[in-house]
Order: sequence, then C-alpha cells, then structure tokens
Amino acid sequence: MRRSGRALLALGLAVGLPAGALSGCGVLPPLPEPVPSDVVPTAPPVALSPAAGGDALSPDGFDAVERMAVRIRNVGCEELSTGSGFAIDDHTLITNKHVVADSRDLEVSTYDGHDIQVGATATAALADLAVVRTTDPLPSYPELAETDPGPGDPVTVVGYPAGGELTVTEGRVMGSTRDPLNANLGEVLLTDAPVEPGSSGSAALDDKGRVIGVVYAKTADDNSLLVPLSTLQDVLADDTAFTPAKGC
Amino acid sequence: MTEAPVIATPGPAPAPGPRRGARWLAVLLVATIAVGGYLWVTTVRWQHNAEQWEQKARAYAEEVASLRMQLDAAGTELQAARDQLRTATARITDLANEKAQLGDENVASQQVLDYQTQVSAAAGTVASALGQCVSGQEQLVGYLKEADQYRADDLRRYEDEVNALCDEAEQANEALQQELRP
Repeated sequence: MRRSGRALLALGLAVGLPAGALSGCGVLPPLPEPVPSDVVPTAPPVALSPAAGGDALSPDGFDAVERMAVRIRNVGCEELSTGSGFAIDDHTLITNKHVVADSRDLEVSTYDGHDIQVGATATAALADLAVVRTTDPLPSYPELAETDPGPGDPVTVVGYPAGGELTVTEGRVMGSTRDPLNANLGEVLLTDAPVEPGSSGSAALDDKGRVIGVVYAKTADDNSLLVPLSTLQDVLADDTAFTPAKGC
Repeated sequence: MTEAPVIATPGPAPAPGPRRGARWLAVLLVATIAVGGYLWVTTVRWQHNAEQWEQKARAYAEEVASLRMQLDAAGTELQAARDQLRTATARITDLANEKAQLGDENVASQQVLDYQTQVSAAAGTVASALGQCVSGQEQLVGYLKEADQYRADDLRRYEDEVNALCDEAEQANEALQQELRP
C-alpha cells in the first residue's frame, strides 16, 4: 500500500509539475485566450469624427465671404449708381460714403438675389465710410481683424465690380500711403487686388476671412485703395463720427 | 533419516541501483508523456483558436470589401452632389446678377420715363405759352387794324404785355430746346 501511494504521488508530480512549471516559466506555450466575439472598437477614431470641420460647412454651398457681401443700388434723383458693402452684424452694413451719397432710395441685395429692406443710413465725416442699418436680418457677417495688415500680407476683396456678378479677387498689401483723394483722415492701404468701379464698399479680408479694410478707390495703375481697419474701428467706436446721410 | 534443519541465512540484499533507475526512468517517461499531452492539447487549442480568428478575419475582410464598395459609391455620389451644388450656386449667382441687372434697367427706365414725363410736361407748357403768345399777337394785330377805336396808351400797354408773354414763351422754348439737344 505504501509503495502504490508513493508511486501515485510520483506519477502526479510527474504529470502536473513539469507541464505547469514549464508552461508558467514560458518554456511551453500557454493555452490560447478565448476568441472575443467582437473586436470592433466602440469609440470611433478621432480623425473621422463627423463633427470635424463642420464649422467650415456652408448651409447653401456659398462661402462665408460671399454670404456677407451685399450689392447696393443707389437710386438718386437723376442717376443710378451701384456699389458694394458687407455686414458687420445681423442688421448693420458697412460701405463707402460716396456709395450712398445723393440718394433718394437705397436698394440692397444679397449674394443669392434676396432684397434686404434698408433703414437708416449714416455717413462718417472724416472717412469715406457709411453705415447702413437694415430691417431685414443679414445672412452672415465676418469678424474684424485685430490689427492693420502689413506689406506683403494677402488680401481678398469680395464685391460687385461694375455692378456685375459677385466676384472674389485676391492680391497683397503693398503698404500704406496718403489718401490721394483726400477722402480719409490719415493714411490708407494700397493693395494690388484688382477692383473696378462698383467695388467701392467691398470688404477686404485677410487669409482668415477677417476684415482688414474697406475698398474705396482704384488708382490709375490698377491698384486698389482701402480704408484701413484701424480707421474703421475708430469711427465705429466714436458715437459722433456718423451723421444721418442727406438724400438728394 | 533425520533431516537436518535448514537454517535460512539471509543472502546479500539486491543492489538498489537498477530498480531505482528504472523507477526514475518511468517517472521521466510519464513526465514526457504529460508534457507531450499538454503540448498536444495546446496545439489543438491554438489550431481551433487560429481557425476562429481566420473566420473572423475573413468575415471582417468581406465587410471591409463591402464597405469599400459602399464608400466608393458614396464618394462618387458625393462628387456628383458637389458638382451639382457648384452648378446650382453658379446658377444662383447668375440669377442674382440677372435680377440685379433687370432691377438696374428698371430703375434706369423709370428715371428716363420720369425725365420724359417732365420734358413732355415742359413741352406742353412751352407750347401753351407759345400759343398764348400767338393768340395775343393775333389779338394785337386785330386791335391795331382798328386802332382808331382804342386809346393809344392802352394799345401800347397791351402790346407790352403780349411782348412780355412772347419773350417768356421764347425763353421757355429755348430752355426746352437746349434740354432736348443731345
């Protein structure tokens, strides 16, 4: 009896110990883990999130720079002229003083042809700038940049040259200069972005779509002149800078 | 005959070496069989595991292939939708421009119409003044034919009034002609 018990113990040790010890030490391969029923990750990759880049989407396929531009028809007592403008909030447009001068009626339309009802119009005394309040909401408006651009900075002009189609042109800031038309106090910006009569009042934007100036004239050598952002900010901050526009 | 008692004397004990060696050999054999059995079980389990993974991989591969086809189709549809959107926005821009141009023409036509209305009204006024001038002159001629029936200072005063009326009519006519001159 003692011998058979010893033999069984030896057999057990012989069977259990080598396999367990060798497996535990890594000499023998372990038994495989059970195959999981699903290996698809529950959280989607961050780069493929549906919301990524959603801010850049337009509700109707038009760029934000196009959506904030407006066409202004100045119906004078004797003649008709057109210009451009842009929204700075839901009910406020910025354009040039000479665009709204001698007006009997102002007719504003958006990039998609919608007519916008106009309220009061005010013009600045010391700059070729005007503010037009609208009773209808405007579709979109850009941010103002923080500082004036420097030479070489890119500039995008969006407006209605010659009263035609909404057009986006690009160029670079060439520098600042004295206003050759004496329509503005202080220096103005010179750019090589192409403009035409009718582009007056167009927004000049930086590469982030922020306003850096307002187009007000074209030079003889086909450059464009901008009322700089700093002037725009100054007159907007001054409650007395604007006075109601005089009609014809 | 008496048998002598047999006294069993213990012989020398058997040498333990070969039997113990055989025992250890047996243990080693059993251990080897055990390890072999473990390896067999492990191999079978891994084979089964590998088959399951392969089935899963093939199922996912089929799903990937299907999703790739769907993605390609969706990409094609997206491109078509983008093209349509681009066309639509271009058309909207064209229509907005056409509307703006028509509005400009309408306003310009209205201004021309207003101007022509003003000119027509002015022409009517001038014609009326010229008519009054002619009537006055005809009246004056009639008075002069029977001058002996009227006082001379009355005739002169009437003549002055007719001349003043005709001067005004002429000036209005001149202004109108100047306005109409291209």
